[in-house]
Amino acid sequence: MSKRNLPHSSADTVANATRKRFDFVDVTLRDAHQCLWSTRMTTAMMTPILPAIDRAGYAYVNILGGAVFDVCVRYLHENPYQRVGLLCERLGTPCDALTRGQSLYTFELFPDDIVALNAAALARRGVAVLTVYDALNDNRNIESSVRAGKAAGMKISAWMTYTLSPVHTDAYYVERTRELVALAPDSICIKDPTGLLTPQRGRTLFPAVVQAAAGIPVQLHSHCQSGLAPEVYGVAIESGFGFGYTASAPLANGASLPATEDIGARARALGCEIALDADALAEVAGYFSWVCEREGKPRGRVARYDPALYEHQIPGGMISNLRYQLETMGIADRMPEILEEAARVRCDLGFPIVVSPFAQYIVTQATLNVVQGERYKTIPDEIRKYACGYYGKLAAQPSAEFLERANIRPEEYVTEAPAAHIEPWIPRLRADLGAGATDEDILLAAFYDRKLIAELQDPTPGCAFRTTPLAELIAFFAKRSDIEYARVRFAGTEMTFSS
Amino acid sequence: MFSAAVQSSVRAARLENASCAAVGKNRAGISLANVAKDNLTYEDLLRIVELVKSSPQFSEFRLKVGEIELHLKRKREVASAPAVVAPPEGNEPAEVPAQPRRKDVAESWPAHWLVVRSPMVGTFYRAPAPGAAPFVEIGRAVEADATVCIIEVMKLMNSIPAGARGVVREILAEDAQAVEYGQPLVVLEPQ
Repeated sequence: MSKRNLPHSSADTVANATRKRFDFVDVTLRDAHQCLWSTRMTTAMMTPILPAIDRAGYAYVNILGGAVFDVCVRYLHENPYQRVGLLCERLGTPCDALTRGQSLYTFELFPDDIVALNAAALARRGVAVLTVYDALNDNRNIESSVRAGKAAGMKISAWMTYTLSPVHTDAYYVERTRELVALAPDSICIKDPTGLLTPQRGRTLFPAVVQAAAGIPVQLHSHCQSGLAPEVYGVAIESGFGFGYTASAPLANGASLPATEDIGARARALGCEIALDADALAEVAGYFSWVCEREGKPRGRVARYDPALYEHQIPGGMISNLRYQLETMGIADRMPEILEEAARVRCDLGFPIVVSPFAQYIVTQATLNVVQGERYKTIPDEIRKYACGYYGKLAAQPSAEFLERANIRPEEYVTEAPAAHIEPWIPRLRADLGAGATDEDILLAAFYDRKLIAELQDPTPGCAFRTTPLAELIAFFAKRSDIEYARVRFAGTEMTFSS
Repeated sequence: MFSAAVQSSVRAARLENASCAAVGKNRAGISLANVAKDNLTYEDLLRIVELVKSSPQFSEFRLKVGEIELHLKRKREVASAPAVVAPPEGNEPAEVPAQPRRKDVAESWPAHWLVVRSPMVGTFYRAPAPGAAPFVEIGRAVEADATVCIIEVMKLMNSIPAGARGVVREILAEDAQAVEYGQPLVVLEPQ
């Protein structure tokens, strides 16, 4: 770069630099435990520390996503809308909820009336920001969400998903950015689910996206599998991004996002004004570090740079899952072959982004190809539907070899917007559930079968809204069945308990 | 023993409330706020718990660091939470009852009949949805591209075509049954 800028432009640069501000969106209550704890953070684990999260200086707190909603229902048996309501009520910081656009919390397509009802239900529970993305980056799939979110009075954060392929060029992302700008969101985000971004790529991609965003603030949401994310966040800050998604230190790094503390230090070093409160962040980190110990959950570890990640792109969680499935089939030794085939399958399928559900498509097809010893002898129905454009536009045309084996008839191709052919569901669900059904009842019935819904509970009764290390210490001893007597003296207070 | 544990936890909860109240009162009162400040940190807590957990062989535990004093006694008869040792998982699934091998039907059809086999380890389904009519019944004529069953592989559904025009003569798997790679599913007499 030339050091001899014109005086005028260099003065501008300085003025911009002094005004530059970088804000943070917390993912500790959503993506961090999704990546590190298989999404198993309960509402009761969150509520005691909400006052400290509130003081930490985040612009937003992300509290909901597809996996969180699903795990709440299937495994924690918590009513997800009640969790959302409780967190929104207890947090003064605006809360953010993420949906997969037309698929909401699942991988199926829902009609526009269900999408709109969900947006209204979230807004009523207190959600201030609705974040939406489509796993194919087909932005027709987020239009109804954006419209409904705005109508419900929420801000809109529109995401596009980053991946590496010959077709996912800077120009591709500039085009996607322009589509998002046309939807007039409040912010635009680059989501990098597998941590594939590098500082080098950021230096060309980020300024191009910032420019195309035409004044709409740009955000970065990148995971740490490659170990490069903190560097990439630095490049984003330098490129004029306004927000970064980060997690509390014990739940940061590895498959999760970078630590708020680390990115805060970087932003400050780069001359940004930041609103973070170090004491509050330390309290949040201390609390979650303790919860990791108490619950026997892993802390995030800084990942070493691993070039293999860039070849197959299969996320770490998916690889361990695949290994487990291959073991149960007794073919664990064919794992390297399957990963190699996965890279070829992805190419054949027109470079889908390796996220759910497409990661599953790629891995399953690769496994079928390897086990059958013949490529595309069996093609799962979902993959044929994907290739027909049923879920949205493909990034690139599938290979001739795949298309020949898939044998798709011309009338099977879908060119209209994916939800255009789906009739409204609300009238039928209302008729099924009766007049007493609330909007949330209707939504849950649209997503899940009755048996799962019947088991859902309000998480509130089990929640504490304050805690201290001393209180945690006492509760810990009280729960241990091997301790029959404990006396704790601290700061003029003494307590004894025995069984 | 279980009820004792529950009881002690209830008592602790009461005491916890009492301590909170005491702290609050002190803060509201004279200048005891600094003295009564709860400055035990999460780091201290983690260290204490580590110490307690790493000394299971002792029945009594005393700790005095700065302002904190701890005195714990462990139960004698239950040294620690009885760790249920899982039986070592060998390579052979010793006690898992194997699927009854249906030797009676195995490969007993005429040589020119066609066997539709499972493409993968997966789950066999006879119908497109629970409660729906099965894709085929014995004796029904099918076209080559007609779906005869679904095999679910790693959560994805694979519609399995007949592969030839013919009449269904045998259906060899039960609905929702786990099937092996290459396992015969449906037998057709080509027409």
